[in-house]
Parts: sequence; structure tokens; C-alpha cells
Amino acid sequence: MLPATMTSSPARADLSKLPQTPAQATSAPVLEVRHVEKVYGNRQNVTRALNDISFTVSRGEFVGIMGASGSGKSTLLNCVSTIDAVTSGQVLIDGTDVTRMKSGKLARFRREQLGFIFQDSNLLDTLTARENIALPLTISHVPAREVLRRVDEMAQRLGIREILEKYPYQMSGGQQQRVAAARALVTDPALIMADEPTGALDSKNARLLLESFETMNERLRATVLMVTHDSFAASYTHRVLFIRDGKIFTELRRGGSTRQAFFERIMEVVAMMGGEGSDAL
Amino acid sequence: MLCKIAFGNVRRAGKDYLVYLLTLTLAVTVFYAFNTISVQVDIAGVSAQNNGVGELLGSVISGLTVFLALVMGFLMVYANNFIMKRRKKEFGLYQVLGMGRGQVSAIMALETLFVSGAALVLGLLLGLALSQLMVFFTASLFKTQIADFHFFFSLGAFVTTVGCLVAIFLVTLIFNLRVVGRARIIDLMSASRQNETVKTRNPWISAAVFLVGLAAIIVAYVRLLHDGLPYDGQPEAMSAFLVTTLIVVAGTILFFFGLSGFLLKALQSARGLYWRGLNMVTMRQLAAKVNTVSFSMAVIAMILFLAITSVTTGMSLADTMNNTVERGTPVDYTRCLVYFGPAVVDEMNAAEAVSASAQEGGAASDAEAVVGRTGAVRYAVADAPVDVMEESAHDVITATSDEIAQGAPAEQPFDLASVAGDYIQVDGYDSTPRGADRPVVTLGDLCRAVDMPLPAGVDTSSESSLGLLVMTESNYNDYLRFRGMEPIELGEGGYTILSDMGATVNDIYNKVLGQGVELQIDGRTLTPAQDRVPEDASTFQNAMMGMNSGTIVLPDDLVAALDLPPYYSYLMVNYANGVSTEEGDAYVGAHRTYSDVTNDAGESIAGWGTEATRTNTYESTDTMNGLISYLAIYIGFVLVVACAAILTIQQLSGVADAGANYRILAELGTSTKEISHSVLAQQTVFFLFPLLMGVAHSIVALSVIIKLVALFGGLTIEGTVGITGLIFVVGYGGYFCVTYLMSKGMVRDFVRVRASE
Repeated sequence: MLPATMTSSPARADLSKLPQTPAQATSAPVLEVRHVEKVYGNRQNVTRALNDISFTVSRGEFVGIMGASGSGKSTLLNCVSTIDAVTSGQVLIDGTDVTRMKSGKLARFRREQLGFIFQDSNLLDTLTARENIALPLTISHVPAREVLRRVDEMAQRLGIREILEKYPYQMSGGQQQRVAAARALVTDPALIMADEPTGALDSKNARLLLESFETMNERLRATVLMVTHDSFAASYTHRVLFIRDGKIFTELRRGGSTRQAFFERIMEVVAMMGGEGSDAL
Repeated sequence: MLCKIAFGNVRRAGKDYLVYLLTLTLAVTVFYAFNTISVQVDIAGVSAQNNGVGELLGSVISGLTVFLALVMGFLMVYANNFIMKRRKKEFGLYQVLGMGRGQVSAIMALETLFVSGAALVLGLLLGLALSQLMVFFTASLFKTQIADFHFFFSLGAFVTTVGCLVAIFLVTLIFNLRVVGRARIIDLMSASRQNETVKTRNPWISAAVFLVGLAAIIVAYVRLLHDGLPYDGQPEAMSAFLVTTLIVVAGTILFFFGLSGFLLKALQSARGLYWRGLNMVTMRQLAAKVNTVSFSMAVIAMILFLAITSVTTGMSLADTMNNTVERGTPVDYTRCLVYFGPAVVDEMNAAEAVSASAQEGGAASDAEAVVGRTGAVRYAVADAPVDVMEESAHDVITATSDEIAQGAPAEQPFDLASVAGDYIQVDGYDSTPRGADRPVVTLGDLCRAVDMPLPAGVDTSSESSLGLLVMTESNYNDYLRFRGMEPIELGEGGYTILSDMGATVNDIYNKVLGQGVELQIDGRTLTPAQDRVPEDASTFQNAMMGMNSGTIVLPDDLVAALDLPPYYSYLMVNYANGVSTEEGDAYVGAHRTYSDVTNDAGESIAGWGTEATRTNTYESTDTMNGLISYLAIYIGFVLVVACAAILTIQQLSGVADAGANYRILAELGTSTKEISHSVLAQQTVFFLFPLLMGVAHSIVALSVIIKLVALFGGLTIEGTVGITGLIFVVGYGGYFCVTYLMSKGMVRDFVRVRASE
């Protein structure tokens, strides 16, 4: 079910051609991670943060990555998001190998294909909500009228129109995160990456944000990769990758089950991983 | 252990401390180098010709140094505050780990000590090098030859410099200890979060404040241009000037408080521009910093204004003196006799009468005192000018005790004729006839005749103060022949005007002569005999600058008919053929005692005025020149460096505060280059606007100063713009470049940080 405003948007023309059913991944992968390794340190002291990780994320998927501190999940996100360089392996986003890109091109790629949401909302404290959301567009030199139109539209969708003129310090943590989500979505990126987005929120605001993510994913057809150590947050996704010691430990698919049932299955895996003497999640 | 932590901290916080170190080093260098002035003038050979110049300059400079040390001290405390603010958390951590406040304070003190010590050593080395170079500069400023160049070290300068640095160190230390001592751990630990709070102002209010400030500045400019500088110390003029100053200060502060809001509003109204690239980020960063920075921007604008104005005025003054000194020294030696005017005579006689009656009254009980009292001096207005050469013989040369020991007589008459070759006496008359209450011609009359305003700064308290001096045609022609020039022919009804005071008054006189303004004097109609003021034939005494502000030359019979009291007599002497300049200068320069010139009745009619040889006029010009240039450059340089350093520190700490924002921008896909451009744009605003404001203030102030100074012989600033410009390019521009390059490095680090986390 798409709202009427959605289909009338020319900016989303490409998306509207996509299959309209949520939770069903299409065949073309947005993200392909192939045998990625990341090694820190020198010869005497090697830390293998990522050890031969491979997985794919299809268009329209909402994927969670779980793991304990030091498991390598943040390193993985940084490598995928082109913020950090891999030691070996390939990261393909929409078919482009980002590990081979020059830094100048990389900035442009990041700007056009990726959206970021962080634990601390990472809004510019000197800018209003409207300006923060507009930022990725102005950086890409989208015409001013188009910028303002798209910001308004996105704010409407995420229910944050009332706070557009506020500064980050005038908003609640949840509002800040929704503004950050709007900022990540406004460029219509191929992939949205969220790093512990609910980490700094109370349970009510965390729930609101996760529902926003569902909206993003279902209604706006956004592909989301979310790193979290919170099983509750992970239960909102379609699929969860569990990472331990730089490797994919296991994978859970939600399939047709309810969120509650999926949450319980996630908890089981977490308990099992913890039960084997690893760090608690 | 504490030492190790402190040393490590200095190395780690190197970027913050670098600016601090740089500024302090520069301060030490400049302090030391300029304080060696008394040694420098020795080596440069200035003292040989002008005894006491070095000492004078030295004492002025060391006085100034104390003042500038205060400025520098304030600057250092300020710089240090920024460093401290960012390190509160660290100090909190030390305390959480169980260090006592005393130990934390000790770390702080040691850090300050390391940096100050490094600055002292570096600064002294640089200062030592700079002072050697400056000897050549000094020699050229004072126009002397370096007789014997050798490496030198000035203990006095060293002590002054170290003293100032120790004082700065102690003040900084006290401030730092207060920060550490007062703060609670919880505040220290959460300090970084507190810093992030951005206070924003309503941009509409800011824009309004900006416009009010701008209006106030314009009002002040108009007032200043209209009123001119208070020159004669009249209370109304002074208070008007004070009001103007207050308006411009308030205006400047408001201007900077509203500046970012105004720019923000202006750019926001241009949608296409605002919502493009990082423009809005740049504007918002500017607006966010305005609370902390606007006041210092205003202060910096004012300091820059002072620096520009003082350097330009000083250098121009020196330049002008250089240009006019040749014209100002027509002969080897001049001396001047000043006649007592009617008003002065009445006043002095009244004063004498009072003191005489007081003495008589007080001595009534003591007959001895009355007997011992010499007769009261009577003053009178001279009937006619006296022969100055003859009167000079009443001077007495008194020998020093050394000379007496060498067999010289204790006293001998001053025989000016013995060294004089050809000479001429020029007499100027008061233009107010005896018994009359108004001059026959005044500057005011002439201004009205050609419809020009009175020059700014002229004493307008009474019409008689504007009276021109009067000279006879025959006397002036004698003078012209003496100078080897063509005599003039006034005829029955001609006049001409003499002046060597430069453009302001000469413009008026030239217009009067050029337009053929007719004057009515004593029922006779006079027309100009020349169409321009003969500026090169208007100087009657040796002086650094023009002294003749207006003398009208009239036919002899008219001057006689007017019955004018004499005002000045100038004697202009060239030494006789057999007398060398040195001998002549030595003779007229010998120590003498003078007495008032009396008439036949024994009444005092005149007192001796200035006397000057060509040689000492040249020398004092060079000395004055050197002195002014030296001080102007010194003050200008230090002030500019201080301002630039404040801006640099503010900007660097601003970049550090905005680091998180720049990192987000990078993550959103902005290239480092674009971020650096945004930083550059912000820093350009912060550096440029105070400078522009300072320059604007200076232009207005200088235009008024030029008008005033032009009265005393004209002032040209073209030649000094280069030097002023150089100081700014080197001092201000240098700091700007350092700021940007360091910021660029910081931005690169911020962008990289997350990658390596």
C-alpha cells in the first residue's frame, strides 16, 4: 500500500517501478560483500577485525548485523560505507566496487549512493532541522527549489514537519534521530546504513524510530543495513547476520513470522553465542 | 613524573601550543630587538651627532614596552584560556584518577613554564639576530653611517624582555591555577559537552543591530568630517569629539554583533545561493561563533584602526619633514625676536603691579625687605622694530667650568657680527593697528571672499586671532634680493600673501590671489600683485616645517599710515667667508644668557624667540624622523601581531569546536577540499571584516588628521602607504596564512579520525 504522494513524486519514479510488495527481496543485490578482510596492526601484533566475510543485501531488504563489542560489526559497517579501507576483498554497491575507488570519486559516490544514521544523530549543531536534512542535497548542488521541496516531502513522511525550524539542541533524542533518518533518505540512496541508531534512545523513542525505519523500508523502498547489539531493534529487520570474531557466525531470516516470534529466535541465538563463553551481547 | 606528563601534554597539544609559542616568541623577539635601540643608535652613529637621542628613544621605547607587554600579557591570557577550555576534561580526568589539585596545578604550571621557556630561548635568539640587522635599518632611518659594526648584546634589553616575560608567565599562571582550582570535577568532565551548546540569535534582530551599528558609524564619520579634530582644546569641541568617539565605538561593536545575522539574512534571501553547496554551513558556523567572537572583532577593528592611523600619520609626518626641511633652512643661522603686543603688555604690567603691591604690603613691617627689592619691570609696546644684530650684542656667552679651567673667560659678550657674513632682518607687524580692536585683514575675511570654509583646527576663538601678519614691500624686496630672487613691484594698490604652511591655507591664499580678490584697507583698494603664493620665498627662519602661516605684503606708505605695532623680527645670517659651518655653529651654539630687549625708557618691549642653525635643523629633522618612524613601526607591528594572534587562536579553537560538524560533512560525502573552502570563507570574514572596518575608520580619521596637520606644513601619505601595507601583509597576512594552513590540517585530521577508530 503506497500513499498517493509517493507515486506522484517524479524523484521516486525509478522506485515506483520496483515490485510493490515489501519484505520481498528482488534479485539484483544492492550490496555484495565478497571475502572482505580487515587487518590492523603490524607484523608482531596483528588484529584480524574481519576475516573473510561474504554476504549480499538485496534491494528493499532491511538487514540487521548483531555482534558483541569487538566482534567487528562496526568495522564491517565502516568498510561497507567506504569510510574505512578493506585489506582485501571487494565491496560492490549497485555493482560498483568501492574498494577500488579514488578518494575524490569516493566522496561523490558516498554522497549519491549512501545514507548514514549514527548512534549520536550526528546533526550539525549549528543548522536547523530543515538545513540538516537539506545538506546532502545542497552538497550535490541540487537546485534550491528542488532541495526545499524534497525536504518538505521527507519531513511530511517522517512526521517531523513541526520541528523543521528547530536546532538540534531544541529537539529530543528521538526527534534528532528521525531528522537524521530524513537526512539519510532525502538523496534517495541505494543503501542506508544505520550504526546503533537506537543506542542513545529510551525505549519509547527507540520504538518510534524503528517504526520510522519500517516505514522507510516498506513505503519508500529503502534498503537498510543496521548494526545493533539490541535484540529488540534487530527484531524489526527481515534478516539478522550474527558476527563473532570477524566472521559471520550465523544468519536468521524472519520469513513470515511475527516480530515477537522473530525477537524470541534472535534471543535464542544471542543466548547461545553468549553461552559459549563469548562476550555477553 | 609530573614533569613527564606536562612535557607529554605540551607535545600532544602541540597545535594549540604552537600558536601560543609562536606569538610569545614573536613578542620576545620584537621586545628584545626594539629595546636594544640605545645600543643600536650608538653603533649606527646617531649619538655622535645628537647627544641624548639614544637615551631618549631608549626610555620612550622601554616605557612603551611596558604598555605593549600589558597588551601581550592580555593576549597570552586570552590564548591560554582557549587552550584551557578545551582541556578541562583532561584536568577532570587527572582528579578522577586521584591526583590532588596541587598536582594538577603543578602540571599546568610546568606546561606553561616549558612553553614560556622555549619562547624565551627562541625569541631571544631571533631577537639577537634581528637586532643586528636592525642597526642598518636604524642607520638608514636616522641617516647616519655605521662607523664600526660589531656583534652586540644588550643586557638592559635582555633584562627588560625577561622581566616582561616573567610577568606574563605569572599572570597566565594565576589564571590557569584559578581555572583548575575553582572548577568542580563534574564540571570539568562535562566541559566538552557544555561547549557544544550553540546559542543562536534571532537573525532579524541581528540584522537590525547591524544596521543600527552601520548607521551609527556613518553618523560618527559625518560628525568627524564636519567637526574635525579638537585642536585648540575648547571644551565644546572636546566633548563633541568625545561623543563622536563614543558613537563610533558603539557603532563598531553593534556592527560586529549584528554582522553574521545580517549576512545570514542577506544570503538566505538569495535562495539559490543559500541552498547551494556548503554556503549555509559556512553562514551558520559564522553565526554560531558570533557570540564569542563579535566583541573581540570589534576590539580588533579598533586596535587595527589605531595601528594603521598611528603608523601612517607617524611615517607621513616624518616624510613631510624630510621634504620641507630643505625649503625650511634658507640660511646658516636664524634668530627671532618676539615683540610684546598691547594685550600682553597690559597683562604683564598688571601682574607686576599686583606682585609689587603684594611685596610692599607683606614687607610693611620689615623695612629691610623694601630696600632690598629691585624695581618692578615695566612693559611697553615697541614703537618700531629694533635692530636684531645690534640687540644680539647684549647676550653674554657663559663658559662652563671645564672651559674656565682651560683658561677661557667666565663671560664674554656675544659678537654675532664676528661670524656673520651677509644677513638680513625681516620684520612682521601685527595687523591690528594701535588702538583698534580688529585686524585690517584676517584669514576669516579671505575665506569669506573666496567662499571657502576656515581650515579645520584653526583657532576661531576671536577674529583677531585670525589676523595675518603684515610686512612692508621694501623689507620683503630686501629679503628677496638677499635670497637672490627677483624683487616684486606692488605699486600704489598692490598686495601679495606669503606662506609656507602647505596646502590647506595656501589653497585659500592661492584662490584669493588667483581670483584677484580686492581688499579695502584704510580706505585704499588693493589688488593682488601676484597670482600665487611664493612658497619658496616665504620662509624667514630655519625650521623643520613651515612656520609662516600667512603674511600680507603691503606698500610701505600704507603700512606706515596704519600705525601697526611690530610683532616679530627675524634675523637671517649666513656665516662669513672665512668662517666654516662648524665654527659658526659652535659660536652661535655656545651657552648664552639672554635678557629682554628694552626701549630708551628702560621698558621691556620684546623677548628672544627660537634660534636655529641649518645643521641642527637638519639633524633634528633626521632624528625626529627616525624617532617617529621607529615608534610608529614598533607600535604598529606589535599591535597588528597582537590582533592577528587573537584572531588566529579564536579561529583555530573554532575549527576544533566545529570538528564534529566537519566530520559529519565528510561522512555525508563532502570532499576535504570543499570543507577547507568553507573554513577559508569563514576565516576570511573574521580576518577581513575587522581589517576593513579598521581601514575605513583610518581613512576617515586620516583625512581629518591630514587637514589638521596640513596647517603645520602639509602631509602626504602616499609614500607611507607602502610601509603600512608591508606591516599588514607580513603581520596580519602571515597570521592569516598560518591560521588557514593549520585549520586545513585540523580538518584533514577530523575527517580521518573516524576512519581509524
